[in-house]
Amino acid sequence: MPEPLADERAFLGELIGDRAGAWDLAGELPLDLLHKAGARGLLCAQVPASFGGLGATSQDNGEFTAYAGSLDSSLRSIMTSQGIVAYTVQRFGDRAQRRHYLAELTSGKLAGVGFSEPGAGSDLSSMETSIEPDGDGFVVNGEKKWLTGARYADYLLILGRNGDAAAAAMIPVDSPGLEIDLVADPMGCRAAGHANVRFTGIRLPASAVLGGGGQSLPMLFTTALSYGRMSIAWGCAGIIRACLQAAGTHTRNRTQGGVALAEHQLVRRHLAELLIAEQTSTRICEHASRSWDSGSPDMAVMAVLAKHTSAGHAAGSAATAVQLLGSAGAQDGHVVARAYRDAKLMELIEGSNEICQLILAEHALSITG
Amino acid sequence: MTAESTTSAATAETIRHELLGFLAERIKTTVEPEQDLFSSGLVSSMFAMQLVVHLEEAYDIAIVGPDLKLDSFRTVESMTALVLRLKDADDPAGDA
Repeated sequence: MPEPLADERAFLGELIGDRAGAWDLAGELPLDLLHKAGARGLLCAQVPASFGGLGATSQDNGEFTAYAGSLDSSLRSIMTSQGIVAYTVQRFGDRAQRRHYLAELTSGKLAGVGFSEPGAGSDLSSMETSIEPDGDGFVVNGEKKWLTGARYADYLLILGRNGDAAAAAMIPVDSPGLEIDLVADPMGCRAAGHANVRFTGIRLPASAVLGGGGQSLPMLFTTALSYGRMSIAWGCAGIIRACLQAAGTHTRNRTQGGVALAEHQLVRRHLAELLIAEQTSTRICEHASRSWDSGSPDMAVMAVLAKHTSAGHAAGSAATAVQLLGSAGAQDGHVVARAYRDAKLMELIEGSNEICQLILAEHALSITG
Repeated sequence: MTAESTTSAATAETIRHELLGFLAERIKTTVEPEQDLFSSGLVSSMFAMQLVVHLEEAYDIAIVGPDLKLDSFRTVESMTALVLRLKDADDPAGDA
């Protein structure tokens, strides 16, 4: 059986080549590369074929995302954002919105998504951004922090309050009243184009608010975040694979006093731990993707479990890889140096370690008597 | 779990009964058909999504777009009405 998305994988590999380190140092991805990847539907591969997408399963898109993550977490995080937007449109958009936006998102248009606010990270109840009816359309006011990909985006998908419910709006980046301030020198995923964004009286037509608004805030957030968590979980499996590869190659080939590093028992223990991390993360991602592809009610919880597990293993594995490579990897731009900074961010976003633990604890209580 | 028993010949009565059972099992609380599940804080962010996916799986429906509004999920009664309407629809919104 041919590997799913094999052509897409080869195409992406060629687009990235050996340039990820240089993009990390420059803090920017080439825009034409994002448009090329987007136009082939690679940035949101689960969009159904009927909407112009590749129609990949969560499992197949997951392996593809891991491959992207093994090469460049900045580009992978752009995939995560684009995929969140596409999935949110697919779920909450009406018929015309699904057709319109999903066609755009699979033909080169780019989209970022905003959750966090200055005064509201994981605590949804303190969210202040509002998307309220105004004449025939809507008006958006508020502020969002750390939008991945905002630098490159054509649209920002913004979640906000809508009466006593919530709404999600697709805001074109050229809308009057939109200010985008790039985050200076982000610690990880440096080329992902993070920005802080402010909305001042942005007027939108009704067609820009998914499904007309009036959704449940937890349902909207969890749906959007669940896709993001799956994507990050698989992306972290990719980070670990890159670390395992770099560590294996280095310790086999690097000799000191005539002995390969890999002959030392303490080094071997590190290699074993990298393998365990890679396998554990891959298997838990596969499990979450099976839940997703089969429509299991537990899919949201399994996405949290996979994200938390993989992000933790990625952070640990990156530290191990830097340790094993020593001076060979201790330079920004190097694959393990990037992994070290990028993986740490993965323990913070789309639900920090602590938020994931709270969700998992809640689940533990719900399944015990 | 409940898919086989409910896909065929689901009536308001059977849907209501199944949903009350699902809620009792998942949130460990007995709820009333008219009780507002969201304003009473019974529905966690995880469970909000579980509810949607459960209804889709159990009744072979797609709940998307305007049908995903908060009002459709507030109570067991409103969810029952949603399921009946989507099962009856000749052209469900989901397969656009």
